[in-house]
Amino acid sequence: MEFQVTIDQFEGPLDLMLHLIAEKKMDIMDLDISVLTAQYLDYLNAMEALHLEVVSEYLTELATLMEIKSKVLLPHDEMEIEDTYQEDPRARLVARLLEYQQYKEVAQSMNELYYNRSLKYGKPMSEVVDQWLQEKDETTVINGNVEDLVKAMNRVLRRLSLVKPLEVKYAAKELSTQERTLQIKARLSTLPSTFSFDMLCDDCHEVAQVIVTFLSVLDMARLHELVFNVDENHQIWFKKGSAWYE
Amino acid sequence: MSERVETKEEVSNIESILEGLLFIAGDDGLTMDDLVHTMDYDESTIATALNHLKEKYAGQSSGIELDHFGATYKLLSKPFISRYASKLFSQIENHTLSQSALEVLSIIAYKQPITRVEIEEIRGVGCDMMLRKLQARGLIQEAGRSEAPGRPFLYEVTPAFLDAFQLVSLDELPKLPQFGDGSTTGDDNLFNQ
Repeated sequence: MEFQVTIDQFEGPLDLMLHLIAEKKMDIMDLDISVLTAQYLDYLNAMEALHLEVVSEYLTELATLMEIKSKVLLPHDEMEIEDTYQEDPRARLVARLLEYQQYKEVAQSMNELYYNRSLKYGKPMSEVVDQWLQEKDETTVINGNVEDLVKAMNRVLRRLSLVKPLEVKYAAKELSTQERTLQIKARLSTLPSTFSFDMLCDDCHEVAQVIVTFLSVLDMARLHELVFNVDENHQIWFKKGSAWYE
Repeated sequence: MSERVETKEEVSNIESILEGLLFIAGDDGLTMDDLVHTMDYDESTIATALNHLKEKYAGQSSGIELDHFGATYKLLSKPFISRYASKLFSQIENHTLSQSALEVLSIIAYKQPITRVEIEEIRGVGCDMMLRKLQARGLIQEAGRSEAPGRPFLYEVTPAFLDAFQLVSLDELPKLPQFGDGSTTGDDNLFNQ
């Protein structure tokens, strides 16, 4: 083994095959399956000798190679030879290799685009504007999905990290979801009929409290005590749910 | 301030308003809709002003640029600033994407909506974790379910993907390289490095 390449340099069995084909200067349109299979197998054996776990995906493709090889090697029936349009057993593999190669190469151009973008920076929206955004039409339709909630939660946590003081004193103060739910219910009368998650978190000083608040509203939403909506600025808006009117 | 007389002066005025608004909006950027609603000018007037502004920034005298990714316009620092920025803020981390992430993203972008199994079929390796990572980074999202047995999730790229790859729309994706199309012409040129 003159030159050792490790398996994790490859993105998968197809990548490995493309590497072998390029290395042995094989013609991909007229693949010598037995050479490729032999090379591939050598490779996997070398990996095993190094006690590297040979991933099952590589073995699956080995089976494919073996199957194609056996089909190519087996003498054809007279009948089959007459059938001029018989499919080349290699065709599917070649098509897959070619398609994979397309994406493998286009990924390079994509990487350039991504890299260039990563050199440009924006700045967060001006803080004052963030507060204007809270004044919202109270008639907005209320609904939202999980993805939106996650984004909105991230927004609140980001904001919390901004207001974090430089020095922190820790005092253990535990708050259960049940207690928090009661607190929220008590506050409902003083809050406007449509209120935001930020408003609920006004009295939160640490991440744990925000999370407990979040769990509480999730639970309240589950019990239809609250309905929520997430707007384009990732703000969560709540309204009293149907449970209050029953 | 909202009298509608379009003098030369006012045109440059539109540009200043745009510049100010884009500055305030920051990373979130603004869409043409936002601008039309806010500024009381029609879309083509604003588009012209945006182009002027963009050209103005493109000049050497400016360190920021006006970009248009997906539906949003935003101001960003020019790439060459990053050298200095990384000196100033030594902790700037450039998130990179691994080769497998790039491959999975490319496949989704070109073939969306697409199921996990279809992606795996092309790459020959599982990508369950990768899809979850990309989803967590907001680059892809679920787009309903396929009619195939088991009704698997379909995936598509997000507006954040367009931003991350500097695209206005998916039509701007680089052209897929063609291999072995048509005749079989030699072997080496298929793999020229």
